[in-house]
Amino acid sequence: MSNAAPAQRTPSAGLLFAMLGLGTLLAFAVALLIGPTAISPRAVLAALFSDERDVTALIVREIRLPRALLGLLVGAALGASGAALQGYLRNPLAEPGLVGVSAGGALGAVLAIHTGVAAAFALALPLAGLAGAALAVLIVVTLGGARSGPLSLILAGVAVSSVAGALTALVLNLSRNPFAAVEMVFWTMGSLADRSLVHVALAGPIILLGLGLLMLIGRPLEALTLGEDVARNLGVDMGRLRWLVIAGTALSVGAATSVAGTIGFVGLVVPHLLRPRVGHRPRLLLPASLLGGAILVLVADSILRLITPGGEIRLGVATALLGAPFFVWLVLETRRELTP
Amino acid sequence: MRRLALLAVLLVLGGTASAAEKPRRIVSLNLCSDQIVLALVDRQRIAALSHLAADPLVSAVAAEARAIRTTRGEAEDVLALDPDLVIAGVVTTRATRELLRRLGRRAVVIPFADDLAAVRRAIATVAAAVGEVARGEALIAELDRRLGAAAPAPGERRPTAAIYGIGGAVELPGTLADALLRHAGLDNVVARLRPGASGAVSLEELVARPPDVLVLSGAAEAYRTVVADNLRHPALRAIMTRLTHVVVPQRLLLCGTHHVAAAVERLAAARRRLNARGAP
Repeated sequence: MSNAAPAQRTPSAGLLFAMLGLGTLLAFAVALLIGPTAISPRAVLAALFSDERDVTALIVREIRLPRALLGLLVGAALGASGAALQGYLRNPLAEPGLVGVSAGGALGAVLAIHTGVAAAFALALPLAGLAGAALAVLIVVTLGGARSGPLSLILAGVAVSSVAGALTALVLNLSRNPFAAVEMVFWTMGSLADRSLVHVALAGPIILLGLGLLMLIGRPLEALTLGEDVARNLGVDMGRLRWLVIAGTALSVGAATSVAGTIGFVGLVVPHLLRPRVGHRPRLLLPASLLGGAILVLVADSILRLITPGGEIRLGVATALLGAPFFVWLVLETRRELTP
Repeated sequence: MRRLALLAVLLVLGGTASAAEKPRRIVSLNLCSDQIVLALVDRQRIAALSHLAADPLVSAVAAEARAIRTTRGEAEDVLALDPDLVIAGVVTTRATRELLRRLGRRAVVIPFADDLAAVRRAIATVAAAVGEVARGEALIAELDRRLGAAAPAPGERRPTAAIYGIGGAVELPGTLADALLRHAGLDNVVARLRPGASGAVSLEELVARPPDVLVLSGAAEAYRTVVADNLRHPALRAIMTRLTHVVVPQRLLLCGTHHVAAAVERLAAARRRLNARGAP
């Protein structure tokens, strides 16, 4: 299958998207259906569409629905951003978590919370996350752009991640907050536990806006696979492309991180798994990774909720455990390519 | 019985507490001993309290402690205060405590209290160390009086309760807070909420199987941290409109001191409110 020529794959793209769409719907439904309390599928459906305010309705509408919606949005943001960064930087290791975009978003959110701005006006939280993520992605794209090779991108990412992480810890330590250590874990290893519709309303629109921008860059990225000069010749406005990548990633990942913390490696694993299935075409890879990211986060969170209802294993820990070995493998692959 | 406990402590300390040699430069390095020292000793004999004593989120004596010098408990810091008595906790500032002992300073460890008997022991230990045995006994007697008044009448219905805190943390059986719940005539039912290894329950479990009395550890607004988002959750707010709930600030539950009486009184008031309405 993976050895088939691109020409033969094009018809299967429709099938792939049908499967991904169906998978997303299924994963979303499963996230609504399972939880520490047993509620029948019929009761869940009834609770979703009734005006009752009983316990079942409370659990389904106020606890499970926001968690599922955020899983969908956060996963989509991470998957699509990973595909966009990998395509724009032409670097297989680019990923929001690894290059520090998530860490920047977390820093912005922590600043908003501990200066009290987030309490003063609600949108301050996702906007601060967005600002932090934007700064991080700007630095990384400038320092580790496509011409400077994979190594400098990762180095720039490590630098941005370290500085953002250290500043986050500093803000938490200075906040005289007895929960600083626990909170640091949230920002470095995110979670969807006990999130509410308030979080969905805050971050959702900004994530969707970012995803909308990222869906515009499919064709320019496709031209870019042939090299920057060819892309320019084909009429790609490199400046506009750059700003779309920065804005789309910052909006979606920044807002997602500000309500769910850093959920790593989703943006790395998903595009890599899907790339051969879409014939290495960025135009298809972007929407495919959006759906794939949503499926991965929803399924991972549902499994975690089943095995540890008290939330002992955090979503960010689970995705890191899945993704880190994959990252090592990718590094080895990249090294092989660089040293013929 | 209690006098015997005091006597035992005195013997252990080697009778150092005669009136003539009462320590005059006392340093407390532990949030719990801070609160007992403040209740027993005149201000001018306190050289420093721990830095947590002035934090209103965790300390029941924050306002008074603000007027007193505080220390983070590094050995150098403490030595500079030239203390003649250092009171420390079992776990924290252990290195400082050992170092001070080697340097010939008197260091006393306040026992960790996870039930009411241990609370009395902690007060007696501090009282003996600072040479205020009579004040210590009076403090314990006052605690016992208030605890007695809060206890349920024989045969009174014992409602179920759970203490739900930041990050979904609950108080498990065997903790001081659990002992206070039981003394106030409430049965801790967190076990049926299936808390995980970290001692947290999911909000869904709490909403699905709520106790008769929900005990919250303070105004969520006071905690400017994402970890406290569970206390701001709309689902929790919704069940609070139907449940008997009571706020017991964390500062009253953290330490085994005479301040636990205030926590028990709040819990007992919730029990009385619920039982006055009749069984649900």
